[in-house]
Amino acid sequence: MSDRFELSGVVHLVRPVGERVSELESLRTALSRVPDRALFFHTRARWLHRPESDELPPDDVSAWVGGVIQDREVAERLSYAADLAGESAAALRVAWLAVLDTVPERARNTHAAPPGGEFVFLACESVRVPSGRAVADATELMRSLDEADPSVWFWHLIEEPWEHPGHAPLLRWLESRGETGLAERFESVMRSGRPLAEMRRSLMRRWRWSGLGGRVAAAAGQSAIERRRAGREAVVSLTRRLHRKETP
Amino acid sequence: MTHVAIGLGGPSLLDEYRSLLGDGPIRTLEGLARDLGGRRLVMVNSTASGGGVAEILHRLVRLLLELGVPTTWEVMPGDARFYGITKTLHNRLHGLAATLTPEDVDYFHEHSRRAARELDLDGDLILIHDPQPVSLVLHRRRRGQTWVWRCHIDLSRAGADAWEILAAPVAAHDAAVFSHVDFVPALTLPTYVVPPSIDPFSDKNRPLSVTEADAALTPFGLPARRAWVTQVSRFDRLKDPLGVLEAFTLLRRRVEAHLVLAGGSADDDPEGAVVLDEVRARAQTRSDVSILSLPPDAHVVINALQRRSTVVVQKSLREGFALTVAEALWKRRAVVGSAIGGIPLQIVHERTGLLARSIEGCAHQVERALRAPALRRRLGDAGHDHVRHHFLHPREARDYLAVFARLAQSWAA
Repeated sequence: MSDRFELSGVVHLVRPVGERVSELESLRTALSRVPDRALFFHTRARWLHRPESDELPPDDVSAWVGGVIQDREVAERLSYAADLAGESAAALRVAWLAVLDTVPERARNTHAAPPGGEFVFLACESVRVPSGRAVADATELMRSLDEADPSVWFWHLIEEPWEHPGHAPLLRWLESRGETGLAERFESVMRSGRPLAEMRRSLMRRWRWSGLGGRVAAAAGQSAIERRRAGREAVVSLTRRLHRKETP
Repeated sequence: MTHVAIGLGGPSLLDEYRSLLGDGPIRTLEGLARDLGGRRLVMVNSTASGGGVAEILHRLVRLLLELGVPTTWEVMPGDARFYGITKTLHNRLHGLAATLTPEDVDYFHEHSRRAARELDLDGDLILIHDPQPVSLVLHRRRRGQTWVWRCHIDLSRAGADAWEILAAPVAAHDAAVFSHVDFVPALTLPTYVVPPSIDPFSDKNRPLSVTEADAALTPFGLPARRAWVTQVSRFDRLKDPLGVLEAFTLLRRRVEAHLVLAGGSADDDPEGAVVLDEVRARAQTRSDVSILSLPPDAHVVINALQRRSTVVVQKSLREGFALTVAEALWKRRAVVGSAIGGIPLQIVHERTGLLARSIEGCAHQVERALRAPALRRRLGDAGHDHVRHHFLHPREARDYLAVFARLAQSWAA
């Protein structure tokens, strides 16, 4: 593994899968064979559409079952399964099929979508966008992430872990640098299923707090002039951060 | 003229977008543009003015140039017979009854062969817009080039005879891009879904002062005290101007309003004048209807019209996307549109606008919007936000660059 870790963003290109379903039975059949990228598109990819949102959008499948097929109970259970097993395509597929298998075969065919209301499966292909930043250590990583676009966070905290369940490249790199504590923190946030904005806030807040003691101790040994300069820099940095938050 | 020159004068479009959208989307665009490594992109369509594609290209090419992507725009030359054939083909692709003779098909291909010699298609990445120039790939493709066909029209009801004309040239491309998943035909090449977009800084969409709007609209003598219900569209049967007139007649039994049907024509649309005459004949005794035939550069007039309208209508019978819907939503207007083609991508019923499926439905929804200022405000705000997130040029430019990057990646793999 290279010493440096390269940060990338991502753009999703939407493509049709060729599956169109109109009731729970055909949904079940389609779910057993659509590509993993379709499951990703209908559950996770949407998180990047409104990265600043504090609320997660519902997955498309349960939204369709609830809104169009009008089977609210199955919709709830599908939604819960997507939350619980949404870390990988394999787990999600098993969980969704298990929910649909509990619906009696006759009931799976009872309610059909009206014409034009069919569920059309889409998938997304990911195009990585190099951010131009390759970091050498945890401090550099966190500073770069602090400045990074939502698509960089999405790629490293949501999409890569989904593609490599249990072996997210960012975690492996942190571990290889001896940063096991930070790796655990990242992993716990990745598993939390929280919105992107909240993941970011949580990790950055904890990172800043974790460095506070060290910074205070280091500052105690500095001259009054150096401490004043550091204070001014902190205020400037805070002002910049607040300004960024206010800028749409 | 085959080459359209795009200047870089005036304020930087990239800076304007940065101030509107923040650094993130622009950094992504810059990253993708860098990744193309100076490869030259050629856009090809069939008209330099009039119609949505030409309008998009005028601004998108500039945005790409500012990003450092060497981009040129070629317009396929045509004659009256070629445009007549492509208009019939366009109608057949939308599922309308029309006939193309074997001689028409031969002429279409022969004309493409001749045009291919006149166009500068020596770029590395070629983006062909719509069916008119689709056959160029058969005559001008050279080794190392990437050709992508970008179809802006609704193919969901395409006649088999019309699709048969396009199938072979489309298959000779490396990928195809459609505005909506329902428009994607069965193809063996990679297909992507990329909706079109608008430019909020163009003359058609930028904010206007009251003085500027007044100056633009005064020559038309529109009644200042009545609520305007407006449809802005080419005079084309597929845009159903007569249906709008009928819906307006129904709602006028119950509410006061004035209908404005405004539109121009495109160089590649020979039917426009005939449809305009039909609409004028139908409305000639009406004092509550204004029909404005506008030149292709009447962008400020259209901007002012949309901003002053109480309700904007897009009652198309077939529709690839309808940029006019995005334009009106961007201006926070209440929009009533047909639940057809690409319109429901923009109008989420009851959230960003109102959808209708019939003349009566259109009359009902327009009347609802006219009577309820709070509803108009709510729809207008949500519509503006929806367009900001999904239908501005940086997103479309990003998707095109990503398509080329993706194709390059898959070949490298």
